[in-house]
Amino acid sequence: MKEEPKTTTGTRNRLVALGVTVFLGAGCGGGDADPDTGAIKVGAIFDLTGPTADVGTDYGDGVRGFAEWVNSRGGIEGRPIDLIYQDYGYQVDRAEQLYTQFVGEGAVIFMGWGTGDTEALRLRIAEDEIPFSSASLSHRLGDPAEAPYNFLLATTYSDQFRIALQWIADNHGEGTPIVALMHNASPFGLSPARQGGVAFAEARGIDLTLYEMPRGAVDFTAEFARIRQSGAQYVVFQNTSGPAAVALTNARSLGLDVTFFCLNWCSNAQVVQLAGDAAEGLMGTMPYAPLSVDVPGTRVIREYLESRGESPEGKTNAYTQGWWTFAAFAEGMRRVLAAGGELTGANIKAALETFADYDLGGVTAPVTFTPTDHRGSKGLRIFRVEEGEWAPFTDLVEAPGW
Amino acid sequence: MSLECGVFHTRYEADMGLRPRPLQRLRLGILALFVLVFPFVANPYWLDLANQVAIATVGAIGLNILVGYTGQISLGQGAFMAIGAYTAGLLTLNFGVPWGASVFAACLVTAAAGTFFGLPSLRLKGLYLAIATLAAQEIVEWGMTNWTAVTGGTEAIVLPAPVLFGVRLNTGFNFYWLAALTAAGTALFAANLMRSRIGRAFAAVRDQDIAASVIGVDVFRTKLLAFATSSFFVGLAGAMIAFHRNIVTWERFTLSTSIVFLAMIIVGGLGSIRGSFLGAALITLLPALITNVGRAIQDTAPQAASLLPYAQQAVFGVVIILFLIFEPRGLSKLWENAKDYFHVWPFAYRRGETRTG
Repeated sequence: MKEEPKTTTGTRNRLVALGVTVFLGAGCGGGDADPDTGAIKVGAIFDLTGPTADVGTDYGDGVRGFAEWVNSRGGIEGRPIDLIYQDYGYQVDRAEQLYTQFVGEGAVIFMGWGTGDTEALRLRIAEDEIPFSSASLSHRLGDPAEAPYNFLLATTYSDQFRIALQWIADNHGEGTPIVALMHNASPFGLSPARQGGVAFAEARGIDLTLYEMPRGAVDFTAEFARIRQSGAQYVVFQNTSGPAAVALTNARSLGLDVTFFCLNWCSNAQVVQLAGDAAEGLMGTMPYAPLSVDVPGTRVIREYLESRGESPEGKTNAYTQGWWTFAAFAEGMRRVLAAGGELTGANIKAALETFADYDLGGVTAPVTFTPTDHRGSKGLRIFRVEEGEWAPFTDLVEAPGW
Repeated sequence: MSLECGVFHTRYEADMGLRPRPLQRLRLGILALFVLVFPFVANPYWLDLANQVAIATVGAIGLNILVGYTGQISLGQGAFMAIGAYTAGLLTLNFGVPWGASVFAACLVTAAAGTFFGLPSLRLKGLYLAIATLAAQEIVEWGMTNWTAVTGGTEAIVLPAPVLFGVRLNTGFNFYWLAALTAAGTALFAANLMRSRIGRAFAAVRDQDIAASVIGVDVFRTKLLAFATSSFFVGLAGAMIAFHRNIVTWERFTLSTSIVFLAMIIVGGLGSIRGSFLGAALITLLPALITNVGRAIQDTAPQAASLLPYAQQAVFGVVIILFLIFEPRGLSKLWENAKDYFHVWPFAYRRGETRTG
């Protein structure tokens, strides 16, 4: 390699100084434990910049909103919540880094996000004894034998998928229902099929085929060509609202005549906003009610948002989900403190496992945790888009077994 | 290895020695002492970062052997790390191979894969080779996510924590020793490799491949050897990641991983082992730094803090551009400049000053 021209000493010194500052600056994140009476530290990671930021932003706002709301009302048993959070851009590495950092700083519980990173952290969560809520509703994470400190507040993806399949089987009429599952290319995407979906479809005589939606794709015409050939009458999305809206628009322009279903992360107002008319008639398994549904659990959020001068109209049900997921954990911590216990992971876990039909303000089916089952609720209501609004379509449906 | 300013060797042993001068040995001693003491004073967060830096160093040295020393650009780093990680993970999980053996097997398999994807380098150079290695990246990425029978597709592979001498390497502290030792061993090997006949052949191919063939270097063989050696260590890094995190997912080995590692060696210094380490450290710590800055100003300037996550990608690019403009030879050269400056201090040589007398 030939000798590069030397930079001037001044520039060089400045760069050295910059380098030194960078290294020293990286040392700022110190860890100090809280006394038993101070703030309760809660760690959280949100996806604000990554591929699931379309729903992650509202979820994160919901979690933050709840923390602020609780603190404005005196905290949990007089102790304020100190929420430490960061964006992690849906990167497994960053999630691990932030988890280590926040737990090192004394976080007693952790609000996670993606399926991939929650799976990656599963073993460490158990060793650290940190009650962990993932926004991921992967069925496996709700099994205490596999993930003793993970808690799922809502119906799992697998349960949601089976509820959708059950509805299809019940309402199909003559012939074999042919279902296409279009899923995100990740453990999150595969979760509903792998964890019971395929077996359930076989048992009920449903012809189920999986189609992967490549990350970052802006066109699904090729997938729909195959789906059309298969003669599918139903398409179920396991993806976030952005890609699902793209697919709905594609399908409409191709003139595909099928019934669309959205599972959790795309049954929200955003998909309707993005897909417009193409979302008309879209069905959705929606474990958390959107803010437009009037129940005590959404009323409190609306009041909070209005008190801050923010409009509840722009918030999706991901906001409700973030808020009430955190609220359930807060209730667990409250029960520990009310009983005079110490806020350790094991105590909070035990308190959460006393939840029996605990009502989350009516936004979701009542939550029950037991030492052998961390899947909070087993039922939900199917919604349907009618004239640009999600409207309740069925009553509470229990997830069928398989 | 470049000559240092103000140093004159009088014996061949000294000329060829790795670190012939007392001051160099002293510095190495201080570094070794720091590495030994660090885990006892650091908290888990810092240990976690240190482990990431150590593993990234192994990968960066591997890439540097190919790009910095032999001049063959590669965008397939992520793919080769994936091959290492998946080989190690699958061997241990499906066949119960002890983790040490599966890590070694992973290195060999990755070296073979690297050699295969290095074949186009016979005809392709520069940008064209970059595109060929990009193909390798895409092919492997597709294979990882779609060859479900072998890799489990997009589902993650979960591994048991490795056990060394009866100690489970499940904590940052325990794993640190393995990571530090591996990084040190890789650095030592690479430093010695560059002093050998093969290392000089690498450099000859990089500087002028026609001239190299004229003086008797088998260019194609040398290029393939560089691909194999490089991939060996890249595979090692991949396997280490698998056992560090106890999980293998394709999301960790995408094209952006390849770019990040290229950034490491560009910012650190092409063709420099020290540079590989400094680059790996800077690029690993930079996101952590931005996170901490964001948290520090969260209360005083929430608006700026909420924008920081979005700035992260930009900062990354800016750092690379700044280095390309102001110090194309990277952090390693900055360090050398600092050393040279103090070596003859206070009689600094300044370019551009008129000489008198």
